[in-house]
Amino acid sequence: MDERTLRYEKIDFLGEGQFATVYKARDVKTDNIVAVKKIKIGSRLEAQDGINRTALREIKLLQELQHVNLIGLLDVFGQKSNVSLVFDFMDTDLEIIVKDNNIVLTPANVKAYMIMTLRGLEYLHQNWILHRDLKPNNLLINREGILKIGDFGLAKAFGSPTRINTHQVVTRWYRSPELLFGARQYGTGVDMWAIGCILAELLLRVPFLPGESDLDQLTHIFQVFGTPTEEIWPGMKSLTDYVQFKQFPPQQLRHIFSAASDDLIQLLESLLAIYPPRRCDCTQALQMTYFSNKPAPTVGSKLPMPSNITRIEAEKPSLKRKLLENIDGASLAKRLQF
Amino acid sequence: MAGNFWQSSHHQQWMLDKTDLIRDRQHDLNILSDDEYQKIFNFFSSIIQVLGEQLKLRQQVIATAIVYFKRFYARNSLKCIDPLLLAPTCVFLASKVEEFGVISNSRLISTCQTVIKNKFGYAYGQQEFPYRTNHILECEFYLLENLDCCLIVYQPYRPLAGYVNDIGHDEQLMTYAWRIVNDSLRTDVSLLYPPYQIAIGALNLACVMLGKENHKSWFAELNVDLDKIQEIVRTITNMYEMWKNYDEKKEIQGLLAKMPKPKPAPQR
Repeated sequence: MDERTLRYEKIDFLGEGQFATVYKARDVKTDNIVAVKKIKIGSRLEAQDGINRTALREIKLLQELQHVNLIGLLDVFGQKSNVSLVFDFMDTDLEIIVKDNNIVLTPANVKAYMIMTLRGLEYLHQNWILHRDLKPNNLLINREGILKIGDFGLAKAFGSPTRINTHQVVTRWYRSPELLFGARQYGTGVDMWAIGCILAELLLRVPFLPGESDLDQLTHIFQVFGTPTEEIWPGMKSLTDYVQFKQFPPQQLRHIFSAASDDLIQLLESLLAIYPPRRCDCTQALQMTYFSNKPAPTVGSKLPMPSNITRIEAEKPSLKRKLLENIDGASLAKRLQF
Repeated sequence: MAGNFWQSSHHQQWMLDKTDLIRDRQHDLNILSDDEYQKIFNFFSSIIQVLGEQLKLRQQVIATAIVYFKRFYARNSLKCIDPLLLAPTCVFLASKVEEFGVISNSRLISTCQTVIKNKFGYAYGQQEFPYRTNHILECEFYLLENLDCCLIVYQPYRPLAGYVNDIGHDEQLMTYAWRIVNDSLRTDVSLLYPPYQIAIGALNLACVMLGKENHKSWFAELNVDLDKIQEIVRTITNMYEMWKNYDEKKEIQGLLAKMPKPKPAPQR
């Protein structure tokens, strides 16, 4: 095990979350730059539980999944009872890009991000796995402009009708209405809704539905899409946490996204359908006209990067980004100054 | 996870070759005969099975634990880790991986103590279960490493249910075949053949045992390598033959004494 810890030469501290510390490191064996996520031992009580369950979940799923748009787990090693996961190093993420006012996101850029996200998610869903924590911060991007879905700490197999799931998943702003109403049986729709919110955020450059509580989140949703009736959403009233809302009339998405093309509005409407079974899946989304119409998606190498990231590896790189910092998926990303 | 078996780590990394397996076991097979080696694995599979049942785990979780156990010793000698420690560690890891309920370490240890005392006293006499939480935790990571972090194991139960359904629902056939699959975990078939083949093998054997001649055409129409199925059936029937003339209660103490052990042995 010693040789494994020596294999990764620490370059930089990238960030710290509730359950893990992330370092940028050089793989001495291959000379590649990697991200090493060291799982914290935690309390005595947690230590009794052995290998951290969230880490175990990431290990078991990522070991089975290989796709260019999913983060790759390169290695796992341990010192004493401390587990570390080695991932592809990713320079930035979509949250940073969205918040960076110096970056212009063209329609072609947005399309490129969407295609890569949907392809990765399509593969995940084909393998019967829900991500359950999609948000801009978990869509990681490297300097080649390749987007990879990261942070599988909440991901889970789905499809068993007898299995009861928790509805306390997905960061609130990206949480679907059925989750907010306490649904325990849900499917790919929860991820599709999150993708819809992310697409909207790429257009608006601010979070689309920034609710301050779970109820406020539903208010935000209904103010845009109208309060659903039992006709629009059969079975809604029998969900565990259902509450009656004020009747809001639906708005036209083209009024909110005034600069968006018709084919893009169509995609948004399909991703953000209130009634979960009406929401499109990844395959259907990728077949929509938005993706075959002009403009063509920007090629990876032409996608914008934050100014502190140079495309050529600098002598002493100043790209400090924490990757996958919050494996609990709860806290928001913090930028670290060095 | 019900993903794609053909792209899984189970298929790509853990379908072992029989000659490789025999070669990797050479160290242990210099000390134990092939027959004795199988009997020892039979014994520890029982421990895992009983432990799992006591902890009220589903058969899927128990089966995964037994496969972990077999995978570990496919690469390591018995002297590498005492199987009495590895067995509960496999149960612990499998229950976490399969995400079915939480077993606390203290409950695991106390269950081990009761099970060893009450159900396997014939093997361990007055000896108590010698391990504590810290041993399990240390062993857990070592196990994970030796599994190459491949944690998802496909089991024959799901394909079996599909086949029985296809043949025409038959409760008795299902029960028999299910039990044969459970028994098959005590052999090497889970290391050598994909789960769907084991399911077909178990189903075939169940039909023979129940004298169900009318399903012959169903088997004949299958597009599978029947030689492989026959190998699986033979491996399982060989074990049943062995059981006929074997009294574990009488022989196991001798076998455990002969088994290669870690040095220095943990304090008992």
